[in-house]
Amino acid sequence: MDFATLGGNLFGTIPFGDIVLYLTPFNLFLFAILLVFTIIIAISNTETQVEATFGSLKNTNVTVGKKEFKQRRILSIICGIASAGAMITGDLFNFTLFMALVGILNIGIVSSVKQVSVLDSAFNYGLIAMMCSLPLFGGAAIILAATGTLSLSILSSMPASPMVIFGAVLILLGVLGESGVAPFFASKAEMFRTAGSPFLVIIHLSSLFIIIRAVEILLLVLL
Amino acid sequence: MILVPTHVPEAFVSMYLPSIYAALIVGFIATMAIASKRREIHILILTDVVGFAMIMVVAAVGTDLAEALILPGLVVELAEIMAISEILLSREMHKIEANPHKKLKKSDSLLPMPFDFDLEIMHTSPNFIALLLIAYGIFLTGFTGGAVAGAGLIIYILSRKARGLPAITIAGLGGVSGISWCLWIIGFALLFLVPGYWLIGLLLAACGLLLKVASKIGLIGAIMKEDIDRE
Amino acid sequence: MRISRLWNKLAKPKNIPRLFAFALGILLIVGFVVPFALNIDQIYIRPAPQVQIDDGMSVAPYARGGDILKGPGITLAQFPENSPDLGWINSYLTPLAVWVSSVTPYFGTSICASPGGIIDEILYYTRGFDTILESTILMMAFMIASWLAVNYTANRKNQKDEIKKDVKKAIRDSNKVASEVRINDIKARNKQNRREK
Repeated sequence: MDFATLGGNLFGTIPFGDIVLYLTPFNLFLFAILLVFTIIIAISNTETQVEATFGSLKNTNVTVGKKEFKQRRILSIICGIASAGAMITGDLFNFTLFMALVGILNIGIVSSVKQVSVLDSAFNYGLIAMMCSLPLFGGAAIILAATGTLSLSILSSMPASPMVIFGAVLILLGVLGESGVAPFFASKAEMFRTAGSPFLVIIHLSSLFIIIRAVEILLLVLL
Repeated sequence: MILVPTHVPEAFVSMYLPSIYAALIVGFIATMAIASKRREIHILILTDVVGFAMIMVVAAVGTDLAEALILPGLVVELAEIMAISEILLSREMHKIEANPHKKLKKSDSLLPMPFDFDLEIMHTSPNFIALLLIAYGIFLTGFTGGAVAGAGLIIYILSRKARGLPAITIAGLGGVSGISWCLWIIGFALLFLVPGYWLIGLLLAACGLLLKVASKIGLIGAIMKEDIDRE
Repeated sequence: MRISRLWNKLAKPKNIPRLFAFALGILLIVGFVVPFALNIDQIYIRPAPQVQIDDGMSVAPYARGGDILKGPGITLAQFPENSPDLGWINSYLTPLAVWVSSVTPYFGTSICASPGGIIDEILYYTRGFDTILESTILMMAFMIASWLAVNYTANRKNQKDEIKKDVKKAIRDSNKVASEVRINDIKARNKQNRREK
């Protein structure tokens, strides 16, 4: 399928050698939204969780310390920029690398908490993120072997062979695992259960946007 | 004399099928092992085997591009295993801190243990060996050079720790690492903004790579040093 | 009844990596029925293994033509307009690398003394954006791991006795060195005295 059918008129391209960034209304819209959210997150403060203690009338506060706050803020800003970059990239392998970057940043945002359950699910999500390197990079390499190119603009004009479909399914599985869609949601959903809300929202937001972009890329490659 | 052929040579085409099937088999064995294992540390190590299968799939293409793509794949694997094992370590320490007398379950096979070793080399001439390694690393340049120079840094930091002297702080090494990352970005930008000055961009990127890898490996040493000689 | 139990299992984070591994393994087995074949029209093509070594080229197997700082080499980039610039970068060797390649025929097997290895120049120029992302991933991983190490797993600020032990060790070590120096000093003086006699 062509760029114009999916994303609207092509405004222009930013070429970095093989990796060409595409500016269509659809991609630019996603890019701008993510940047706006990133700015909002960068200037906001964290929430404090109040937990009722069982068996007494006291409450316990789960707050975010200053060091932890700084670490999380920088990681979530980079996460926002990385997922914004994934919206406009025009190269298959580059997209999978953006995906891997977002995955490791998602782990990083919750890595500094003290709750054992959150760390446990972060670790389990990390295992999935590590395994995802096979479907993501391997799928891109299989498509490269079948078509001889990684550029989306050239791939979009090529007919899909069974090998390309297999590569695309591998990439789809990788995206599902890395962004925590059902049935692989539990480890990622449990990661959020801690204080520090605006930074945790970017975990959610980046996976949502990346799925939209992944669907667009798969349509470009397959149709 | 063949510099660059017009099509992929026959050798790579005939090897593609065996290598991709080998990769599928390796990946299948590794994933099934993960699916049937219960201990977390085993799963963590087995995920690296899945990474091998990925490298085989990429390498099977057999072009210069495939060779260039292996490096990012390798680095992603390395980076993730480091971050995740540190998270695993901190989780186990939080667990022990919360309940020091709890018996360990069979599924948590990991116990954060300090390692205690005393090598002759740490006391005799550590500074000279470290200097030699760093000089040789700078001679090699690039990724390998960075690794060799980083090994020199590790020896230097660990030997200072083994002798009980105060060692370099992590902040300094982290700063070098960040600066070298910026050098790399500047080199990359120069290549596109002023293609005529490609030599400067190339050398900036290469020196950035050397510094970056060396300082990162040195950082591993700086993190490790805290665990040495601790009982 | 069965489905509800399945959903409960899916809600435990511990089971998810294993489920994912299982799904991935099944998909890989499906790969055996897919007709795989390498397309011969690739970009950045390289010659067959051993061909350049048999020809005795000094930078085999990475000889891509071109003179250092004089003429660009041949590289088939994705977009042909990038090929000349990439060729310039690809043909460049540092003076040190030129010297090493003149003394040994095995220069190409190592990546020493050329900026980043001969092949990495593709990574610097046409696929430079990949490299930036890759190094960013590594930097983020180090940030996460070192933050945890400094602030939690390897934090020694609260362990006063260990720091004390370290200081003691340093004093002992320096005492040992001092006494060794003194002994050597005495030995040397004795030798000299003997010679003078």
